[in-house]
Amino acid sequence: MAVSPRVLAPEGAFETESETTMAKLTIEHLRKSFGATAAVDDFSLDVDDGELVCLLGPSGSGKSTILRMIGGFEHPTSGTLRIDGQDVTRLPPERRPTGMMFQSHALWSHMNVFNNIAFGLKLRRLARAEIRRKVEEALELVGLAGYGNRQTFQLSGGQQQRVALARSLVLEPKILLLDEPFASLDQHLRERLREEVREIQQRLGITTLFVTHGQDEALAMADRIVVLRNGQCEQVDAPDIVYRQPQTEFVAGFIGSMNFLRATVEGGRFRHGDLSIALDVADGPAVLAIRPEDLGLAPAEGETGATVLRSTDFGSHIMVDLESEGGVRVKAMTSPALRFDKGSRAKLAPTLYGVYRDNRLIASGRLPASPGECKINRSVQTA
Amino acid sequence: MADTAQISAHGGTQPARGRGLFGLLLVAIPVLLVGWLIIYPILAAIVSTLLVDTPEGATFSTASYRFFFSDGYSLANLSLTLWTTAVCAVLLLVCGLPIALYLRFSTSRFAAYVQGLAIFPMFVPSIILSYALIRTIGPNGTVDLLLNAAGLPKLPSPYLTPWGPVIGLVWDNLPLTVLMLTAGLGAISSSAVEAARDVGAGPIRVFVHIILPRMGNSMLVTISFAVLGIFSSFTLPYVLGPASPEMMGPFMMRTFNDLADPLNAKTQAVVSFGICLFFGLFYVWSIARNQGSRSR
Repeated sequence: MAVSPRVLAPEGAFETESETTMAKLTIEHLRKSFGATAAVDDFSLDVDDGELVCLLGPSGSGKSTILRMIGGFEHPTSGTLRIDGQDVTRLPPERRPTGMMFQSHALWSHMNVFNNIAFGLKLRRLARAEIRRKVEEALELVGLAGYGNRQTFQLSGGQQQRVALARSLVLEPKILLLDEPFASLDQHLRERLREEVREIQQRLGITTLFVTHGQDEALAMADRIVVLRNGQCEQVDAPDIVYRQPQTEFVAGFIGSMNFLRATVEGGRFRHGDLSIALDVADGPAVLAIRPEDLGLAPAEGETGATVLRSTDFGSHIMVDLESEGGVRVKAMTSPALRFDKGSRAKLAPTLYGVYRDNRLIASGRLPASPGECKINRSVQTA
Repeated sequence: MADTAQISAHGGTQPARGRGLFGLLLVAIPVLLVGWLIIYPILAAIVSTLLVDTPEGATFSTASYRFFFSDGYSLANLSLTLWTTAVCAVLLLVCGLPIALYLRFSTSRFAAYVQGLAIFPMFVPSIILSYALIRTIGPNGTVDLLLNAAGLPKLPSPYLTPWGPVIGLVWDNLPLTVLMLTAGLGAISSSAVEAARDVGAGPIRVFVHIILPRMGNSMLVTISFAVLGIFSSFTLPYVLGPASPEMMGPFMMRTFNDLADPLNAKTQAVVSFGICLFFGLFYVWSIARNQGSRSR
């Protein structure tokens, strides 16, 4: 489909100064309050042309509110929204160069598939032949060629979402907004559709914001992930960095599976049971965060080490649940070659870890595969 | 707990025929009551207007219907009733729809007060409303007093004109209309409206292209209800309406009581019933169509 991220603006609507397809979104100090509660608090973000950014966070973190403010469905209490440098903060949705795909499809049941997609084009008074051509191109783009005459209730959930995507794309918006579009679909369909949406997004090069609370979706699709918590930004980074170098304890716990060992650093040493790590941080309480795949296990002698509670064989790996000497339940991902029976003892041997204090990353390090003392590879300045 | 489980297990394995009989028993009492109190009197009234007692015995005659449809006064009353009903139905939609739209889509705290105000007339008896309207818009009523105080001339009062019952009936039926329209609008999701705005539709286009086509059914049901209520109304037309022509409700009562002519009163009732039946069937058809589309 020969669409480019350029809006077909209705009369009096947002218009671009140039014919370029650049679509940069700038959000500055955005705030939205509902009474005394701030749903979004001082949120700023720059989204580059053609970038796909995921807003990720738990329920109530403000991610949908941000998306709705960009779409014009909520008015910010304060802050500015710019698209290609033009202030759109106070523009109504119908005058913004954005296209939104809703969680509930939001298809109009009194119109067939063709009319659902053509509605926006008809509002722009395009010629009938032009409308037909664009709708057919959009349907082909989402893999629904020939479905124009179907009623929306005759389509499956996945097909309905494709129609909703086609309806958004046919108007060639500068910014595509996706509000948990796959939440109502089953896992298999969700995975297939997210691949398709990512492929279409990359093919069109359209700047996209994607709201989800599914971290796998965010990790699989995004160029950058914005992790939100209580309306504030916790971290903005590429998916691999968000996963491997979470900047806050919240992000560490929210993305993927993470073991947290709490202890007090004394004399530059973190001790938890028989685990002892030298840290170049000030003494005080700290949280050691280790991913299961970074937590090695070695057979322990005698009555020392963590107790194995359960081993679950996933074929490619074994997930071992243990209780540390400090009484904390941890998970370790081990090779199928290394098996630990229930009730046996194992030494915890982290290879990669982060240290958090007051929700901020204060140090991270890498240890050799075998258990024992190790020097810190890297320390991080607290924010 | 165990007993409950047993009972539910027993119910679950009950033969389909037995369950069907149980279902019929559940609806038997209301169906019998409807038959006894509504269907039978209707049939009796129709039969009694067509079988007239003569010295030779009961004979079939359509004389009372021929009289009704040839009598200028009866026809004037019928046309006044139809005119009042049509005007009220249009005014109810015109007044009720904006209120229902506001109640459905407003997120303001003020909406709750508007809803309370819109529903309030439901709790005011018709007779109280009638006298309140006489005191307000009747001769030398509040409106006249205010106009006089402002040094303005009096306005012609709608009291005892066909517009008197129209004002009263619209006021009286507005709560039900608003409630039914709001319920109809409830079926339209906010995201459907937002999606329309997202593709460039302003508020008027959203209303015309998205809201109106999807609430056609609820509007038909609302109009059917309003028409049935207004056509058979009595108190407001009796107190606020003109003496001649008059609406069918007061006309029937006067024919029965003052003229002691039960045959013609019943004939008027059957004619009124025939017209209402059309809207009743229309309502049933709307409901059936709505349920059909839901089950898809």
